[in-house]
This record gives sequence, C-alpha cells and structure tokens, in this order.
Amino acid sequence: MAEAASGSTDKSVQVKLVLLGEAAVGKSSVVLRFVSDEFQANKEPTIGAAFLTQKCRLEDRVLRYEIWDTAGQERFHSLAPMYYRNAQAAVVVYDITKASSLEKAKSWVKELQRQANPNIVIALAGNKLDLVQSSSSSSGTPLSESSEDEADDATATPGETPSSSSGEPESLRQVPREEAQAYATEAGLLFFETSAKTGEGVVEIFTEIAKKIPIEHILAATRGSVGRPGAAGRAGGAQEGAVNLEENANKPKDACNC
Amino acid sequence: MDINAVLSLGAEGEEDSYAGKLYLMAPYLAFSSLDKKSVRFTIPLSTVRRVERLNARAGIYALSLALWHGGKIIVQLTSLRPTADLFCALLRDALKIELQKGRMKSVKGFVKTCYSEVLVSAAAPTPSDEKDEAEGADDASESSYHGGLGLRFRFPGDPKKLREASKIKLWTTYLKSHGRNLTLLRYPQCTRLVQVGLPNRLRGEMWETLSGSLFLRYSNPGLYEQLLEQNTGRTTTSTEDIEKDLHRSLPEYAGYQSEEGINALRRVLQAYSFKNPELGYCQAMNILAAAILIYMSEEQAFWLLEVLCDRLLPGYYAPSMHGTLLDQRVFESLVQRCLPIIHDHFTTVDVQLSVASLPWFLSLYINSMPMIFAFRIVDCFFCMGPKVLFQVGLAILKINGEKLLQIQDDGGFLNLMRDYFASLGDSAHPNSSDPRARAITRFQELLLVSFREFSVITDDLILSERKRFRHEIIHSIETFSKRSAVRNLRSLGRFTKEQAGLVYDALYQAMCEGVEEKPETRIQLRTFQYFLSEIATWARDEKIVSNGFQQRIDRDVAEHEFIDRLFFFWDTSCCGALSFQDLVHGLDGVMFNDLMENIEWFFNLHDKNKDGFLTKDEVLTVSESFLFIFRFEVGDAYLGAVSRFMTNAFEYGDALLADSDQSQENQDQETQNQETQAGVDGEPLPIPSNQPYLNLATFRMVVLADEILESFFETDLSGSFRLDPVAELELQPSASGLLGEFWSTIATDNNKKMFNMFTDEIGKTIGKHQVIHRPSIGRYKNLEEPKARESLLTPGMRHSASKTSLRSSPSSSSLRPSSTASSTTATSQLLTVKVPSPPTGKDREPASAIGYSPMVQAANAALLARPAFTIDDAKDDDDDDTEDDLEIGDNDDQVMDEVDAFLEAHDSGLTDADKAVAKDLINAKPV
Ligand SMILES: Nc1nc2c(ncn2[C@@H]2O[C@H](COP(=O)(O)OP(=O)(O)OP(=O)(O)O)[C@@H](O)[C@H]2O)c(=O)[nH]1
Ligand SMILES: [Mg+2]
Repeated sequence: MAEAASGSTDKSVQVKLVLLGEAAVGKSSVVLRFVSDEFQANKEPTIGAAFLTQKCRLEDRVLRYEIWDTAGQERFHSLAPMYYRNAQAAVVVYDITKASSLEKAKSWVKELQRQANPNIVIALAGNKLDLVQSSSSSSGTPLSESSEDEADDATATPGETPSSSSGEPESLRQVPREEAQAYATEAGLLFFETSAKTGEGVVEIFTEIAKKIPIEHILAATRGSVGRPGAAGRAGGAQEGAVNLEENANKPKDACNC
Repeated sequence: MDINAVLSLGAEGEEDSYAGKLYLMAPYLAFSSLDKKSVRFTIPLSTVRRVERLNARAGIYALSLALWHGGKIIVQLTSLRPTADLFCALLRDALKIELQKGRMKSVKGFVKTCYSEVLVSAAAPTPSDEKDEAEGADDASESSYHGGLGLRFRFPGDPKKLREASKIKLWTTYLKSHGRNLTLLRYPQCTRLVQVGLPNRLRGEMWETLSGSLFLRYSNPGLYEQLLEQNTGRTTTSTEDIEKDLHRSLPEYAGYQSEEGINALRRVLQAYSFKNPELGYCQAMNILAAAILIYMSEEQAFWLLEVLCDRLLPGYYAPSMHGTLLDQRVFESLVQRCLPIIHDHFTTVDVQLSVASLPWFLSLYINSMPMIFAFRIVDCFFCMGPKVLFQVGLAILKINGEKLLQIQDDGGFLNLMRDYFASLGDSAHPNSSDPRARAITRFQELLLVSFREFSVITDDLILSERKRFRHEIIHSIETFSKRSAVRNLRSLGRFTKEQAGLVYDALYQAMCEGVEEKPETRIQLRTFQYFLSEIATWARDEKIVSNGFQQRIDRDVAEHEFIDRLFFFWDTSCCGALSFQDLVHGLDGVMFNDLMENIEWFFNLHDKNKDGFLTKDEVLTVSESFLFIFRFEVGDAYLGAVSRFMTNAFEYGDALLADSDQSQENQDQETQNQETQAGVDGEPLPIPSNQPYLNLATFRMVVLADEILESFFETDLSGSFRLDPVAELELQPSASGLLGEFWSTIATDNNKKMFNMFTDEIGKTIGKHQVIHRPSIGRYKNLEEPKARESLLTPGMRHSASKTSLRSSPSSSSLRPSSTASSTTATSQLLTVKVPSPPTGKDREPASAIGYSPMVQAANAALLARPAFTIDDAKDDDDDDTEDDLEIGDNDDQVMDEVDAFLEAHDSGLTDADKAVAKDLINAKPV
C-alpha cells in the first residue's frame, strides 16, 4: 500500500491520474512500482478502484499524483466514468503479449477523448516488456539508464530506446512495438513499453506526463476557485511536510521521486 | 399454505413459546415468529420422523413433530378448526410423497457430510487445547464430513484469541438442543452466537445452513460433479477470465499458494459459470469463492456461491452489474437519511460515496478489511441477510463522522477508510480507565453500532428502497451502454450519433423481446427479426383491429426468407451473428440510397454468389421478396407490378440470352428461337435455373420499366426504414363517450390485453370485428393498375406471358378470401399461372414453375382475387381516427345494447374476471 505522500509547497500541483486497461494487463503493478518501487507477482484484481498518491518532481515544480487504479474486467466498465471524471491524465495500459488488450486500450482512448476532461493527457503503456526480453537484457537495463535515454529523447521518439533494439525472444510478443507506436502517434498519445516487474519504463510514463500537463492551467484553475470550499480545501488540505527528494532530484531526467 | 401457530420445544422446552406462522411449502415446513426474526426454521419434510396429534385440553389443536435429530417440536395450531384440519391433511399428504420418493432415507447419508454431527456425537467434549486447531488435518481424514482448505492450511487468525474452544462448546450445546444442519431451529441464542463470530471449523457448515444453500446441496446431490464432468475441457470467456484471477485470489493465504487450493478455486468458479452462463464470472467472485473455500468443501462453496449471486446479492455480478449500482444508490439514500450531515458534506466537496463503498458491498468487506474481521461480517450477513452490509457501511461512516467532515476529496476519503480498516484490531477506547472498555476493539465497536444504532435498516426497507431506485439505475445503465456502444462504432456511416443511438435503441428493444445476448455481443437471426421489426415497416405485421368498441394496432414480428437473406447479407464477417456495427453498416447501405443505388442494393442482396448475375431461381426469389414487402398493400397496383416484373425479367433475360447465344453459337438455330418455343416443344434449356441469367443492367431495365417499382426504389424502399421509435400499440381511444373514459381507467398492459380480447370476442359476436393489415408502403391505394411503361424491347420480342396471367382471371373469381388478412397467403393450388420460364431439360411440363414458387402463383392468384372492400377501410390510420371515433360515439347506445344481449346470451361462458370487466363496462356509463 502506498503511503500518501504528504506535503504541499506553493509549487505543488495535484494531478488526478487514472489507469485504465483490460484485466490483468498490470495496471496495479505499474502503480505499485511507481509508488513504492515494488513488484508483487500475484496481485489481487482491483475491485472497483484503488487510490494511491505519489509525488513527482519536475524541474522546479512538484506534482502530486492522485492515482486511480481501476478494475479491468469489461463489466466494471460502466463504473469507470466515476473515476476518470476530472482526471487530468490517464495511463491506458495493455499487455504486449496479448493482442486483444491493445484493442481494449484503443477503445479506452476513444472513450477518454470523447468523454473525459478535454485537456486530458493520455499515455499508452505496453506492459510486461520483461516477458519478451532475454533474461540478460531485462536485467541489464537499469532504471536510471533507461530513464536517461527517455528523458533525452523526449516524447517524440521513444521508439529508439534500447529495449527495442535488444534481442527479444519475439515468440511471446503479440503487439509489435512499431504498431502500437504508430497508433499512439496517430492518436496523439505518449507511448511507452514498460515492465512493472523490472521497473523499466514505469517512471518515465509519469515524468513525461508531468512534462506535458498544462500545469499553469491547473494552477490557475485552483487559484481562481479558492473561494469555493471544495477547491480551496483541495489545495490546502494536505498535511504539511518537507518534500522528500533524492539527492539527484534536481536533475530533470530523474524527475520522479519514488 | 400457512397457518397461525405457537411453537414450543417439547422436552427441552426451556425456551419460551413463540407465536407465529407455520408454512407448508412442500417439501419444506417452515416457521417464522411474528416479529419475523426471533425464531425461525425451515426443515425438509424428509427429516420429519413422526407426527402426533397431542391429546390436550379441549379446544387446543397441537401437533408434536419428532425430527430426525431426535428433537421434538410442538406446534399448536391456533387457526380455526377447519383450517387446522386442512393443514394436517396437507401435511400428511406431503409427508407421504416424500416417503414414497425415498427422501427419508437420504437424510442419513447427507448429514454425515456435516461437521455438526461430528461435534454432537463426539463422546468426549471438544478438546480444550486450543492448539488442536492447527493440527486439524488429522481428524478431517478420519471422518467424511465436508470441510475447507482451512483444515489443511490453517484458518486465518489465532485460534486462542478467537476463543475457538469455548465457541465450539457453546455451539455444541446449542446444536444438541435446537437441531443442526437440515433441522436447525433458529432461536435468538443462535443469532447471538453468530454475532460473536462462528468457530472456524463450524463456520462453513453454518454459512450454508444459515443461507439455505445447504438445502440446494441436499436436493441436488452430485450436480456439482456432473457439471464439471459435462464441461471438461470447455473454454469460454468466463473460464479465460477465471484463469487470469486464480493466482490473484487471497494470494497471501497458504492454501492458494498450492495447486490444491488453486484447483479447487478453478473448479468452483468454472462450475458456477457453467451453471449460470449468463452471469459467467465477475471479478470479486474469485475473492468470495476463495474466502468461502477456506471454510467449506468445493460442493458446499459452489452452492453457497449460487445463493450469494442469485439470491442474496442479485445482479451484483451480472454483466451490467445493475445490482451493485442499485445497492450503491440505495446506500447513498440511506446515508442521506441517517447521516445527513455527512451526506451534505460529501455533496459540498463533491466526494462520491461509492468510490469507497462499492468494493465493500461487492466483496462483502473481504477485500477491504483484515480477513478475520470481514469473516465475522460475513457470518452476520448469512444469518441476518443483505441488510447487514448496509448497517455496517452506515456504522463505518458514523464512527468516522468527525474525520469525514474534514475530508475534501475522494482521495482523502479513501485514505481515511484505509487507515480505519487497518486499525480495526485496536482498542476503541485506548484512553479509558476501565480495562474492560479498553479491551473493546474497534471492530467490536463497529458491530455494536451497526446492529444497535442502525436496527432501523430492515430487509423490508432495503427492498422498498431498491424498488424506488430501480428505474433510475436501469435508465442510467441503458444510457451509458448506448453512449459507449455508439462511441465504439468503427464507422457511423452516414448516420449522426443520434441516429446511431436510435439504431441502438431498436437493438436494445429487440434484445429485451428476444431471448439472448447483451448489447455488446452479436445478435442471432431471431433477435434480428425483432430488431428489423422495430425499424422496417414491412418487417412487422400490423393489424388494425376494430371491434366496434375500439380500434387498435396489433403488432407482430414478420418472418420471411427475405429477412433471413438480409441477415446474411449484413453478416459480412460470416459468423452467423450481427454486431451493432454490422447493423449500422447494413442500414447505412440502404437508408441513404438513391434510385440506382437501391436497385443495385436489391440486386446484390439477391445475388447469392456475388457473380454479378441473378440466376432464374434468384429472379423468382426477387419477386417473392417483392411480394413479401408488398403483402399488405391495398389494391392491385403492387401485385400487378410484381407480375409484370416477372414477365419482363424472363422476357428480357431470355432475349438477351438469345442474343448472346446467337453470337456464340451461330450454328445452333434452335436455341436462337428458344424463347418463343419455350414450354411448347420442350427444347433442352441452354441455361439451367441455377446458372447466371440476369445481370444488373438488365435487372435495372426491368425495374425501370415499371412505374411502381421505380417509385419503390426511388424513395419507398429507403423510406420503409424508420429509426424513430415505433409508436404505441394502440390508436388513440375515442375521447367521446364512455369507452374513452373506461379505457383510461384500465390502462395497464394486462388489463388492456384482457380488454382487447374481450372486446374482440364481443365484436365477433355482433359482427363488428374487423382486422385490416396496415400497408408497409401505402403509396398506391387504388384498384386501377397503373399502366406499364412501353417496353424497352421491340414489340416483336415481347411475349404474351403477361397476358397469360390476366387471362386466367375468370377462374379465380371463385376464390373468396376468408378475410382481408389473407391477401398473399391465401395460396391457391387450383390456379395454374403460367410463368414464362422455359422448362428445364428433364421436366417438360410448362407448369414447372409451380414447383419453384407457390408464393408467386399465390401472388397472381391474389392479384386477381383481390376483393375491393379493403380500400374503404385501410386508409392511413392517422386520417382515420376522427371518423371512426365519431362512428363509435354515435353508435354507443346501440353497441351497448348489443353487449347486453351478448352478455346475457353468453353468461356462463365467461370467467369471473371477464364478467367483472363486463359489468364495469356496463356500469361505467355515467356520462
Ligand atoms: N512478467 C510480468 N508480469 C506482470 C507485469 N505486470 C503485471 N504482471 C502480472 O500480471 C498480473 C496482473 O497484474 P495486475 O497489476 O493485478 O493487473 P491489473 O491490470 O491491475 O488487473 P485488474 O485489477 O484485474 O484490472 C499479476 O499476476 C502480475 O504479477 C510485468 O510487467 N511483467
Ligand atoms: Mg488492478
């Protein structure tokens, strides 16, 4: 369970983020990796939705992600709007070893684009990358290294991260990276391949989303609505506490503090 | 039947007597005290060993029932003597039946599967050493009683802390005196014992006893194994979903880290999904199943799951999850009522209650709080029913009330709840000076508050609240699924979203009427017929029924090969079923067409092998399709058009064929003339009836040669598809006179149906009953045949065949259709209409076309036999209303007299209900 990251400085911005995707693609695992840098092989299916928070530092700003991790089974679909209402960001997850999960992801994207907050930033994440990597390459891709690449490449060319060039036992892979990438570009999404198990690509999702979020917009909206009880409470409600950053937190590429 | 009774326990009767009601519902006997909760029992009649009428004081009628477990119950029947006698007689009969069925013998074997028997029969008292719990596996193997994974992998929680031994002792005493398993009598003591938590080893059995699933297991021996056997190796979406979650169900419990546990879980969930494929499998069921399997065997768990999903939590796990949504709505309204301040605060800061409470209900709190606590809530849930979920939910909010008023958003709410659940084992009053108060845990406090302060939440209240919100929920589910279905369409075609929504509405309607499927999936032919009847005028049979009292439209779904053809035409992926997308795509292909596109569409629809040619068979099918679509048109115009179509089609077809034959096979002079010799000299056919015959260009020519067909393809075909919902089933009742008044007072569906039947009956008797089919196109209403256009072919090529059919008209005059309804279906075998089709090689009979198509002949027959009187009546109903109403109004008195006469004459033939309706009808004459 994630410990709710506390504290809000003047620069801290709350970002509501929702995770969507077919059952068992690894949404909860991705969140768990991001929030507490752990992996549990057998995670119970999410019933309804789970809520976690995590801070993320981006240059001079701190984002506080409020993460809604939803249930994936089709019949929970009608509950989803309850969770994605007012969301500023969404991570739509599919499983690269299961072609049908990309189809489901596409339909989520479509729904978000039509039903959710119009400025919502959407990232597409192809999870379980470790399953298609030879054991050497998956273990040999430390977090920092890949995140450096990601950060330098920026969002436009994530297709050139080392993972795609390393030799993959392609037998398990059902969704070619290129195909998903092409779709993401066309639909205007951020795109990553991730592994909640190794941690690869997980932090990057949240960093890139943070970069793309129109923070000024959110800040302005929050400030502008101070008079309203709800919004005011939202901005000042969190308990005070020092922002706990790693030593290299000032480097933008290791933006996330987790 | 039920009867008033006073229950007491014979020899052991330390308990008070309870007044209540005794119910005989073979094969069960049940009792419920007046307050509906103090004392209850349900026992299978097969456990009754002996019934005696007690020799008591005069005026007292008492029965003593000896039950299988040795106990005795005494029921004093306090109803009137005859009622009591009747009850006894029925009871005797029911017992006899059970005896004959041999059910009495099955009891013994069954109770061996129950742990309670082991408890009670154990000569030695239960081991006082608490540690025994851990080594439970040993005696499990000795005895044949059913038990769960806990026997092998331990039960959650510390048996010492849970005070297992003393609980077992208490229960042993209770079960000895009050019966057990099949014959458990539920006295207040039972509920109290449940509330302090069931002992682990007895828990599974008590769950099934309290929930009633025990009876299902008892009356369906072997069914669980059978289900699994019959479905071995079967994979469905449910089994796939189940597979994903097997290792994700209480993974921290040792039993689910072993194959044994996983396999048991798989079998139970699969068996349920096979038993109830409509529900299948829903996430959260894995958690429930995993939880109950710790305490009970697979078979026990299977039946408990059935009771859970079907009865205790109806609709919770259904594909639409309507039950879950409904209970969330109910919960919200209860919070509003019982905890208004919290509710107001939530509204102000826009916090949604169900973000937290939905998982509580869906997983019976198992997913939310530590297992040992959740199981105690589950104990109460099975004992006291679904209201427990609401009571606990309200208590949680109430206890956290102050903190809840501080929260500002959904996230804060969830965090608070999570912290609270994590602290349930802590003392509720850590700072109290009284050590006993300090010993009370937060969980105990929660239960106290639940049952003390929210005792107002009764099952009846929940039921009525569910009723109150049902409509709202269903509506919002419908809107939601419609929106997402429309959104998920790959292509809207030329439809707007609203129009696609209307298509969806029709689809939804069809699914409600039909049998199968949910909107996300595909529909089969039967549902398609319903669907089409919502959209296309010719796909429904609409009868305007007048019987002198009212005029209404009766509507039926039409069935015809044409509709089947359309179904397969739209099934582009050839999977025998249509998706919403297929329907939208298919409708898009016909609703926006112009003349030429429509002709081509119709051509393609009938060109089965898509080679660009219709065969002769297919040309006949085309005419049958026409006849089907035009079957209710008034007048001869359409029949004439179809007849001309056939004539022309074969004429042109043969002519063109001849041309090409000529060019290809110049030397064969015979074939060149074949069309003139057709049917005369039996020349072998160059083209068999299933070979390419008519191409699109020719087809177009044939169609355009006819004014009616041209207008049909120009506008009427596309126009016959209408997306707006089909109007109500009856025409406006007459506003004048008594019938209008009467109508508005009986306006429920059932009443209307009865009224319709009744008035039809009367109408028939008084000769005012009339049924007119409403035309699907309704353009041409006159008898006169519009003139066929000049043939595009040279006069010399024209054949006299069209005249042939006309010539046969005199013979048809003898045909009298039984009613106006029988236009096209009044097939006449007497008529031999010569269809100008050349005979096939082997069959030299010119009339061979008859073999093809009785329908085509019938059309010709009907054309000629068409009675004139339909025209007067079958005007468009919209214009008709006023006129008819007036007529009814004018004739009211006369009609009523006739009714009186009818009623008098037919008095004995009417049921009481009919009579009542009739009397009302007559008395309702105040105006
Ligand atoms: N090998 C591998 N397994 C993973 C990865 N991520 C998740 N899993 C496994 O996939 C299964 C499902 O993971 P979850 O995180 O529970 O999936 P989810 O999307 O939250 O599922 P729902 O809550 O049912 O919608 C678990 O058994 C995880 O251990 C990954 O990156 N690599
Ligand atoms: Mg999850």
